[in-house]
Amino acid sequence: MSQSEPPGGVFGLSYDGETRIIEALKLFSTAIIVIVGSWPIYWMAQLAFTDYETVEDAVTIFPTPDIFTLGNFSVLTDPVMYTYMFNTVVVAIGTIVTVVLVSLLAGYGLARLDFPQKENFARVLLIGYLFSPIVIGIPLYQIWQSIGLLGARFGLIIALSAISMPFAVWLMWKFIMTIPEAHEEAAWVDGASRWRGFRDVVVPQCRPAIIAAALFAFALAWNDFTFAQILLPQTDTTTFAPGILRAMGQAQFLPDAYLMAISLAMTVPPLLFAYFMQSYLLQGFQVRAL
Amino acid sequence: MASETGESIRPGRTYIPWDDLPVQRETVAGIGTVLPVVVLYLLIAVLPVAFAFWASLHDIHTLNPEWQWAGLANYREVLNISTFWGSLWRGVIYMVGSTLIQLSVGLWMALVLNRITYGQKLLTAVVFTAYLIPTIIVSLVALRVFDPLGGVFQMMGAEWFGLWGVNEAPLGSRDWAMELLILIGTWKFAVFVTIFTLAQLRAIPDRFYEAAKVCGANRWQMFRDITLPRLMGIVTVVVLLRSVFMFNKFDIIWQLTQGGPGNATTTLPVLAYKTVYTDQAYGLANAISVVMFLFLLASAIIYFKLFNPSEEVETTT
Repeated sequence: MSQSEPPGGVFGLSYDGETRIIEALKLFSTAIIVIVGSWPIYWMAQLAFTDYETVEDAVTIFPTPDIFTLGNFSVLTDPVMYTYMFNTVVVAIGTIVTVVLVSLLAGYGLARLDFPQKENFARVLLIGYLFSPIVIGIPLYQIWQSIGLLGARFGLIIALSAISMPFAVWLMWKFIMTIPEAHEEAAWVDGASRWRGFRDVVVPQCRPAIIAAALFAFALAWNDFTFAQILLPQTDTTTFAPGILRAMGQAQFLPDAYLMAISLAMTVPPLLFAYFMQSYLLQGFQVRAL
Repeated sequence: MASETGESIRPGRTYIPWDDLPVQRETVAGIGTVLPVVVLYLLIAVLPVAFAFWASLHDIHTLNPEWQWAGLANYREVLNISTFWGSLWRGVIYMVGSTLIQLSVGLWMALVLNRITYGQKLLTAVVFTAYLIPTIIVSLVALRVFDPLGGVFQMMGAEWFGLWGVNEAPLGSRDWAMELLILIGTWKFAVFVTIFTLAQLRAIPDRFYEAAKVCGANRWQMFRDITLPRLMGIVTVVVLLRSVFMFNKFDIIWQLTQGGPGNATTTLPVLAYKTVYTDQAYGLANAISVVMFLFLLASAIIYFKLFNPSEEVETTT
């Protein structure tokens, strides 16, 4: 800044004094966020590594060597728990793939092709947000039952895809609008078809939006409890969330330390996603006014 | 918008006389691109709601496939049962309380995360994880730490602050269940606000602040005139989404309290679920969900009239 007098602050403070106060507030806030944000994850981790008999009897703060154990993770190879986790992974991947493919296509259509009522179409999609999973899930139970999709992972994938769809379509639409159309026109001039232009020019540039949509779909599928609880009544196809709740209700003794060990295993993928994908994620959501 | 592609004529292809047809080729392609969305939407949103409405006009025992026409009797029953109005009221408290706290916490976290210089990426990842980990895990951890047998928060609350009795389970107490539900939900869902706000904050070019500084603006003025207007659009949308999501929230409530103690945390989604699986009244449950949907639709229309987030949606690039 090429100026002699820095501007004055609020409350008659000097600019530097204000900076110091803001720095202090920032440090204080950061400390709170660190503690509150990481505390539950820490607590889960420390219980997961602590001998389960100790966890039942006393409050532990840190798994010291005498109570440290990896034995709790043996629950991961338990066939029932393994099935729950496997199903969750299948459902999550299925949902991500469906959502990305369908929303990419629809987003391109909304952004580049002209057809009647397209703005209204996008608006009607937003009403989809108003349907509670319960409002949809209860009728779906009967519909899925009559067409034989009840208890099938595929049925859950369709339901979850449809739920994350409106959001993903808007995201793609707005994102593709920011890509200059000239890029495609250049490809068309070189003899590419519309499909080639879409595949080779638009899709690669959509990476942030694809990752944002995929992460949103992942969060939805990984989180889902309501749909799975209603639509997957049998144990062998159900996902982690309703499965573990049922297991807790049925098992004579399912130690908390085991629950925390399996929870930790289910938390690692999101943590890795959040760490490695966050810049793409934020870029994808930067499109104005979703 | 789109111009002609100048495709070469490929031999061996059926000739379609596009120029003679009443529809444009682009229209067909355009509708084709949104077709999968339409199919999914019809299958998962429109069909179930129509089905729910149809079922709500019948008397149905959940396990019995026989439907008996009941007309509007289910609706009369819904509006007359006392649990409905209580659940609606608790749902509104849960929705408004959660949304307000999540909004303030979320905005605050975004502003802080945007400013910190060391460990920003790691801390952002930790914060984002809250939104990405399954709700059931948040519930399991919460159930564990509020458990009267060795739960660390239960112990701290009882022994240090005297909030509840030593052997009392806070999640099972009428005084604390709702408050704790709101707080536990905030831990997880405030991050939703943070993600969107942080993305908006990152999109504000630095030169805006530099220009304001040259013009002699102080920090408050910069915040008020540069940051806040940029955030307002996203905040109106996020508030709408969060309120709708919190009003519809079933999973975290069911996992933590199952609507109890008594009906202290029974909101409308929980009531609908209980009506299907505990009371076995499928028709009545559908009437509840139709009323719920109508209530949300009316609220959303009022919200749109007041704040018009769609205007914000339209002012795109």
